[in-house]
Amino acid sequence: MFGTHYKLERYSIGLAVAIIVAASIGGLVEIAPLFTIHETVERAPHMRVYTPLELAGRNIYIREGCYACHSQMIRTLSDEVERYGPYSLAVESQYDHPMLWGSKRTGPDLARVGEKYSDLWQSEHLNNPRSVVPQSIMPAYGFLKRTELRTTDLPKDLAALKRLGVPYTDAMVRNASDDAKGQADPDGAWADGVRARYGDATHVRAFDGDAGTVTEMDALVAYLQVLGHLTDVAHASEAGAGK
Amino acid sequence: MTSPSHETLTLFAQSWGLFYLIVLSLGVLVYTFWPKNRARFDRAKNSIMNDENGPWA
Amino acid sequence: MVSTMTANERQAALVISILAAIVGLAMAAAGRHDPLGVHGAMVLLTGLMCAFWVIRDYYKPEPPATRLAAYYDEPIKAGILLALLWAAIGMFFGDWVAWLLAYPEMTFDAAWSSFGRMRPIHTTGVIFGFGGNALIATSFHVMQRTSRARLADQFTPWFVLVGYNLFCAMAVSGYLMGVTQSKEYAEPEWYADIWLVVVWIAYFALYLRTLARRREPHIYVANWYYLAFILVVAMLHIVNNLALPVSWAGAKSYSLFSGVQDAMVQWWYGHNAVAFFLTAGFLGMLYYYLPKRAGRPIYSYRMSIVGFWGITFFYVWVGSHHLHYTALPQWVQTLGMTFSVMLLIPSWIAAANALLTLNGAWHKVRDDATLRFMMVAAVFYGLSTFEGSFLAIRPVNSLSHYTDWTVAHVHAGTLGWNSMIIFGAIYYLVPQLWKRAHMYSPALVEFHFWSAIAGTFIYVFAMWNSGITQGLMWRAYNPNGTLAYSFLDTVIAMHPYYIARAFGGLLFLIGTLAGIYNVWRTIQAAPARTPQSDQPILAVAQQAGS
Repeated sequence: MFGTHYKLERYSIGLAVAIIVAASIGGLVEIAPLFTIHETVERAPHMRVYTPLELAGRNIYIREGCYACHSQMIRTLSDEVERYGPYSLAVESQYDHPMLWGSKRTGPDLARVGEKYSDLWQSEHLNNPRSVVPQSIMPAYGFLKRTELRTTDLPKDLAALKRLGVPYTDAMVRNASDDAKGQADPDGAWADGVRARYGDATHVRAFDGDAGTVTEMDALVAYLQVLGHLTDVAHASEAGAGK
Repeated sequence: MTSPSHETLTLFAQSWGLFYLIVLSLGVLVYTFWPKNRARFDRAKNSIMNDENGPWA
Repeated sequence: MVSTMTANERQAALVISILAAIVGLAMAAAGRHDPLGVHGAMVLLTGLMCAFWVIRDYYKPEPPATRLAAYYDEPIKAGILLALLWAAIGMFFGDWVAWLLAYPEMTFDAAWSSFGRMRPIHTTGVIFGFGGNALIATSFHVMQRTSRARLADQFTPWFVLVGYNLFCAMAVSGYLMGVTQSKEYAEPEWYADIWLVVVWIAYFALYLRTLARRREPHIYVANWYYLAFILVVAMLHIVNNLALPVSWAGAKSYSLFSGVQDAMVQWWYGHNAVAFFLTAGFLGMLYYYLPKRAGRPIYSYRMSIVGFWGITFFYVWVGSHHLHYTALPQWVQTLGMTFSVMLLIPSWIAAANALLTLNGAWHKVRDDATLRFMMVAAVFYGLSTFEGSFLAIRPVNSLSHYTDWTVAHVHAGTLGWNSMIIFGAIYYLVPQLWKRAHMYSPALVEFHFWSAIAGTFIYVFAMWNSGITQGLMWRAYNPNGTLAYSFLDTVIAMHPYYIARAFGGLLFLIGTLAGIYNVWRTIQAAPARTPQSDQPILAVAQQAGS
């Protein structure tokens, strides 16, 4: 009695183990080497991290499911390079937790959309896409401009990303809330701190056209405007492709 | 211990992956066509046609 | 539900319900400034409701020992009804967002109603709500019948069902509030993911404990597929969802992986969700219900075994075909492509096995819509696996990727294969489990079949056309070497196809609603006088009295 039971369970557990082994191999073979990939891909020593405002914008991009219709991955195909710019490199999304490469282009790729349009165009387009592109099928995001951005949690967000290996300094983490406000208020008290911590090339502007309150529109436009501009390594490698 | 280099890992992955594929395929085929298993498979195949009479015991 | 449990099981149910309520209360308190708080309230409410149910029937007489001579079918019935409820929700939202692409102004200027937030309600609703509940319910049925054993206890099946549906409810309500990890088909946040692991372990343990009650050492092959579904989905789910929560008081977390590693992990998960959620488990369904309904054993048991190991081994390699021409290393793309093509062998072994089983029973296929659902499922399985291997070839993928061709492929699989086999299984199970002679209206089953087929064809053809059109337009050059079309030109060209697709989806949804009505009326009807019993008479009498 006891013996047969042992035998029966040995069968089913053996089957379970065999399934796990058979199903693990492919994943291990394909994924494990990728964790040493930094040895082989181009480096981007001057790549900067997202500012708190851009990170907040990125989280809005995630929250609204923008990735369902917009990719951020330009493939190595000539028409894509022509349409969107240099093809995407692995290093460009090294700080993206999670990546937003996307899988569908109901709308165009956004990997290099930064600075392609003005802040005013971006915020009008988000507010009502059909006001600037009459045939657009994108949803209108009118509430972004009406919603004040919650900046209180940003230090925790940066701290979490720092623990995951994104090179935020302690000062960046500590000042995250103020930096978010400062980046959207160029004449305000906190604007200089943003430039000091994230570099002079950082966009410090009233992204939604109103320097008063920091809105979700400020954050999302700040994020869109930095896409493709954290590092210029893709442009550099295109220029130096012959070397 | 230093972690293995990318080259070592990819080389290992690319060669042993094929090895596992062959070994696993052979193993499955042997199990499936092993003559002794024939009766068991036939029994299993027909067993579901008549399973409405409640559990054993 | 509770009256069929023993005193010990009622105790366990009460303790776990109260524990859940306490955890829910803690979540609600900690996350009161965050969507986490809403989910805490949902957990609290679920815990309290379950505790209330248990207390209400706590002192009812225990079920007699004779219960052990019968299969335990109550959770299967509940699972089927939940699957149908999710089918209605998931397909409704799917069709809604399909119309949004044709008429983008239908969002009422609200945050929750945009395409981006509602689309995952559709995917989660149909894959996990409809597909998942159907898998759980049918697995409860198949594991008992093929093992000739009753479910190992009367509490765990309910824990799995309630827990799983709580996960689904947290997922879809979260999307409306903007809670998402943005990982496709793995959107729910960390706390829901952890909860699913708990539910899944209970599910796996229940499966093994039920199998352990069998007498025949060999396990019928349908169970292998279900086991692969449970085990590999657990593995995929845990690895892909590794994330660091920003705080214990909020829903937001950051994925442990970034960039190219994250992309590979995501599509290793994403494609294997197709493999082990939408294929392995559903082949388990096919290998049991198709022979049963056709009244003929499976054509070749050996083919089912070879196919099983082929699918289990090959599928895991193919996720990287979602990343052709991207920043993923080329050798990984090539491996993904190669295995995707090889995958056609085990896939077609399974499809052929199903169709060869029907050889000699084609008159039944003609007359019986239920069997026809299953036959069509096998055909679509063969077609969409062929298309899948084809799309994984790098140059083909350069055209199809990012377009609606992928959407056409996915829906050929999910509408034509997954939904059809589920509806076939449900039309087989409902009269049997509720002891009715037949469905309330066989004509309505026919109607469902034809509207589902028509809807699938319209949908898939529309998306084939739009996908290939858009892919070709993107890469079209003028004679002088400039791109021929702006992106907007290609969006405008999609409009008629989007309307056709939404109409096809509507037909499919109408068929589903007809099916739900039919099931409902079947349950309402008087039991057949001579039940097609799959239980001893004694158990039937006892059940009627309870």
